[in-house]
Amino acid sequence: MTTSSQQETVFSNNQLSIDEIPVLKTLTLLPISKKYRALNVFLIGMVALVLTGIATGLRFQRFWSLPENLVLAYPYVVAGVVAIGGVWALYHFFADVRIFYAIREQDISKQSGLIFRKLSCQPILRVQHVEVNRGPLDRWAGLASLQVFSAGGEMHTFEIPGLSLERAEQLREFILVHKDIGAR
Amino acid sequence: MTAPETSSNLASHSGRSHGLKDDASIQSQGSEAGLAEPKLNVETGGDWQRLSLISILYFTIRNITNAAQGLVYAIPAVAISFNIWDNLFSLEVLIGAAVLILSTSSSGVISYLMYKFRVHNQHVEIHHGVFQRRYTNLPLWRIQNVKIERPFYYRPFGYALVVLDTAGSGKEEAKIVAVPEAYAEALKKQVLYEKAQYDEDELEEPTGVNLSNGPGSSLPLRDTGVRAPDYTHANEEVLNRRSVKDIIIHGITNNRVWIILGVAAPFYDDVFGIVSKWLADKGLQLNQIVGEQTVAWWQFGLYAFVILMMIMALVALLSVGGALFTFYGYTLSRAGDRYIRRSGLLNKLEVSMRASRIQMITAKQDWLDKLLKRVNVYFEQNSTAGQQIQELMSPNKLIVPSVTEYEAFALSQEVMPGCDLRTQHYQTISKRFIRFWLLIAWTAPLLGVFIVGAVTAHVDIMIGAVTMFILVALLLTLRWWRWGIAFDTKYVYIRRGRIGVDYQCFEPYKAQQVIIKQSVFMKRKKLATIKFVLASGAVTVPFLPEEYVYQLADRVLFEVESTRRSWM
Repeated sequence: MTTSSQQETVFSNNQLSIDEIPVLKTLTLLPISKKYRALNVFLIGMVALVLTGIATGLRFQRFWSLPENLVLAYPYVVAGVVAIGGVWALYHFFADVRIFYAIREQDISKQSGLIFRKLSCQPILRVQHVEVNRGPLDRWAGLASLQVFSAGGEMHTFEIPGLSLERAEQLREFILVHKDIGAR
Repeated sequence: MTAPETSSNLASHSGRSHGLKDDASIQSQGSEAGLAEPKLNVETGGDWQRLSLISILYFTIRNITNAAQGLVYAIPAVAISFNIWDNLFSLEVLIGAAVLILSTSSSGVISYLMYKFRVHNQHVEIHHGVFQRRYTNLPLWRIQNVKIERPFYYRPFGYALVVLDTAGSGKEEAKIVAVPEAYAEALKKQVLYEKAQYDEDELEEPTGVNLSNGPGSSLPLRDTGVRAPDYTHANEEVLNRRSVKDIIIHGITNNRVWIILGVAAPFYDDVFGIVSKWLADKGLQLNQIVGEQTVAWWQFGLYAFVILMMIMALVALLSVGGALFTFYGYTLSRAGDRYIRRSGLLNKLEVSMRASRIQMITAKQDWLDKLLKRVNVYFEQNSTAGQQIQELMSPNKLIVPSVTEYEAFALSQEVMPGCDLRTQHYQTISKRFIRFWLLIAWTAPLLGVFIVGAVTAHVDIMIGAVTMFILVALLLTLRWWRWGIAFDTKYVYIRRGRIGVDYQCFEPYKAQQVIIKQSVFMKRKKLATIKFVLASGAVTVPFLPEEYVYQLADRVLFEVESTRRSWM
């Protein structure tokens, strides 16, 4: 592309009327896998269980004696773990079904959040590299998360969690074969 | 890179720069010279080179500072186990010190012996490290930034330190520790040349272009700068100089104390000890004054005020010193498509930045700056995340300290033609911003304090809480009043600040990501927050009309996706 043709593109671009620009508001949003919520709630349950288990184990073991205060604190610790776990699980129960994503020709978008809704849009032109991530639990549930890195830095990694593996691979492929990748 | 390729590039280049009158001829001359010359200059051949002997000094100083930094953490332990100050000149201490000094200075020699480099086949190769041998191989065209440093002890001998930076991470930095200054310059020229060639081959796109359209454009060099090896000093044009007066103003308006304080950090305890001892000698016992009611409260207040003033004056003085230390002899110049900043009192520091790499211009004006009508201008480049370098030294931010308002305008015009920060019509944010932050963050704690005051019947606490609340509300109001965004189809502008004002300006096509945030409550009021992620960092403008936010997001995304211009 030469300088002049570039300038023309930019120039003609400014001539477009507002109506012709693609609109984010009318995105058709796709939900992520339903398993994702189940997996998260399950995970929180397990963490809470393990923590309670450790506390209980310490409380009722017979190898050494605990200070009096710790014994008294035991019910509160358990209650605290259960309460925090409950709130956390409740959040995921309601928030995870509100994670959506959308693909357009030129960009990928994600909407998430329960009270604070966030819609982020990542132009594929600006993608530096793509990863499909699968933790052990993700593998067990047949899920994967798609991570898209731009020059915006670690803090702003675009991530769609809880995709089925096929869908994640498909999206990765879509981004990789996109003609803008490699052109920077 | 083969010769035919290069020449075809040059041909296309001169074709493009056709309309550029007299500059074109200079450029092509420069490029022919560049084509023939630099390769001979910098290549050291297949043999490994040693540094010049002066580098022993550098290595020694570096090793000593490294050792000292490590030892700082050991000092408390040593001090506890062995009262070093009482036996300052005892045999053990002297032996210890001697061993330390000897080992570090001999380590300088060893480091020197273990360091070899060569510039061969367009690669910079370095073998270094004593215990952990490292081999660094940098192709010239991968190098993003070249910094030439001249520590003061190099200067009499005409040597320089070349720091080669790759885009990857901060760790992948290579230093050629001591080379003659002329060689350093030649190497830099060669690197920039290779880089420009490589970029052109790779991108097939003029990365250095900021559309300087319109007949009145005074910057014909910019469009052609990328592909022309015109990095000779003949083409360098100084854009801005800072006089000592400007730097003193900068020192007063901006707190640069840390430059001095950072250097002096190891001696804090001693200094405080000496000061309090001195005060005690003068018969002034702070805890006496506060503890006993021997002095009237207004007297005490006066003392405190005077001391505060003295400290402030001292701080200002230190700050001026710090500013002079870093910014003495400041020049900002343009060579081709690069901006080069040179400054420093003892160590001359040079930072250069490609014009196309600039993501954002920031003009910061604190309240004191406002009074003196000065502005700090920053050109922000992509930052390597998680790596916080001191902003003044950072190659990611090019600062032009304390320029006048007109100069700030001229500089922003220079980097982003047609950008006017002040005369924009800014879309201000909603008043709900004030209410939101008051309610969410401040009401509960201050109400708590107020209730505590009421319960314990302390009127002063109650008054304090109320004043605090009013103060916070005022500051939030100021913040609300300042915060705004504007878009003039070419640039996005952001204005923010509380008492001072900051302006930011970026080209929409450089956005990496666009984020719209909206809470349930904001949705009800048809408000939304917009956030642009740029390679230099993110900018957020909260509580804007929903309609405006969506339109702006669509426009910016369209700009990115339809123009397909590189952000680098």
